[in-house]
Amino acid sequence: MGLMSYNGGGIIAMTGKNCVAIASDLRLGSQSTTLAVDFQKTFKIHDTLIVGLAGLVTDMQTLSQRFKFRHNLYRLREDRDMRVSAFANMVSSMLYEKRFGPYYCEPIIAGLEPDGTPFVMGMDLIGAQGQSEDFVVAGSNTESLFGVCESFYRNDMSPEELFETVAQCLLSGVDRDCLAGWGGIVHIITPEGTVSRTLKGRMD
Amino acid sequence: MQMSDAGRGTNENATWSPYDNNGGTCVAVAGEDYCIIAADTRMSTGYSIMTRNSSKVMKLSDKCLLASAGFQGDARTLQKMLLSRQVVYHHNHNKLMGCHAMAQLLSNTLYYKRFFPYYTFNILGGLDLEGKGAVYTYDAVGSYERTGYSCQGTGKELIMPVLDNQLKSSNPLVIPKQSGATTLSQADAIDLVKDCFATAGERDIYTGDVVEIFIIDANGVRLETQELKLD
Repeated sequence: MGLMSYNGGGIIAMTGKNCVAIASDLRLGSQSTTLAVDFQKTFKIHDTLIVGLAGLVTDMQTLSQRFKFRHNLYRLREDRDMRVSAFANMVSSMLYEKRFGPYYCEPIIAGLEPDGTPFVMGMDLIGAQGQSEDFVVAGSNTESLFGVCESFYRNDMSPEELFETVAQCLLSGVDRDCLAGWGGIVHIITPEGTVSRTLKGRMD
Repeated sequence: MQMSDAGRGTNENATWSPYDNNGGTCVAVAGEDYCIIAADTRMSTGYSIMTRNSSKVMKLSDKCLLASAGFQGDARTLQKMLLSRQVVYHHNHNKLMGCHAMAQLLSNTLYYKRFFPYYTFNILGGLDLEGKGAVYTYDAVGSYERTGYSCQGTGKELIMPVLDNQLKSSNPLVIPKQSGATTLSQADAIDLVKDCFATAGERDIYTGDVVEIFIIDANGVRLETQELKLD
């Protein structure tokens, strides 16, 4: 069936005016069987950095634990949080280390640079970086996520507008994917803090 | 053919296929008293563009248009086949087939070749007997359904969720049965279709060049075109 679509999922990250959003669906499945409906695929690294991971859940869990470990170590040594772009490079290296036996995960990194500039980046399973000005998507049906984001995205959205847009894009996008859905969670990251909201969606 | 296969007269890695995918996207939206059916005009093979101005839409009557994405060899033949059946019907009955009749005929024609199918993904758009917009959507072997909107082709997965979001109708199982047609005005629906193609043109390499947008209503069939990126 493909290891990348075994568990299912959908993740979107989008930039706004001095803010970023990252959202994931809540389904965890084993092919056609649904195992959990409250399974988040986003992981907070620090106040202005959240990573989303799409793909095989076992690798998602291992990677998120490894990212936490590496960031903790960084904090101990440097006495500060890691910059988003630096974190992204670290993720890329970690994935490429396993070039000939990869982690079956595609990370989405979203955060704010120290000067407040929004940053979103997607990667493939071996660490190829795809930084974007507007949005990045990952999951078991990226085509439908690309379609909605491309249609509904506008430049310089405020945090409220960005939330509404990302929520609509995620819910409409995953509704056309049998392996993703059961609602969603959206995080809006601003210099003042992060607001997280849960979405109710189609429960199929 | 590899040199090592030459002596044997057979090729274990046979790669000839009777089919090809010429790419492109079709969209249709049914309104209360109109129907919009649109398709891009790019024809591709592999990563090359064969032509930028080939139509995927065939007018079968003033109330019925057929758009076919997929393999254009089969699409052209299918469209000509249905057109000839329409002409014969007109000859015999002194009237043209209605949209619903053509819809069933298309389904039967496709299933006739169940074991060597037409590699076409069709949408039939028009007005039903009451003058309301009708969209019928098909798979390659003739399974069909009347819906409020549809899209087929290489850009289908990009566009479908956008249409879902903007045109979603009530649950089809609710009684009394409600029409799936949208209450949007003709102008708004045309704008939506244009937005959809702009999106598909960005993210799908096989969709681009020009979009033919046909609007069918009580006054007949009107054509608008939309320019897309040439890349």
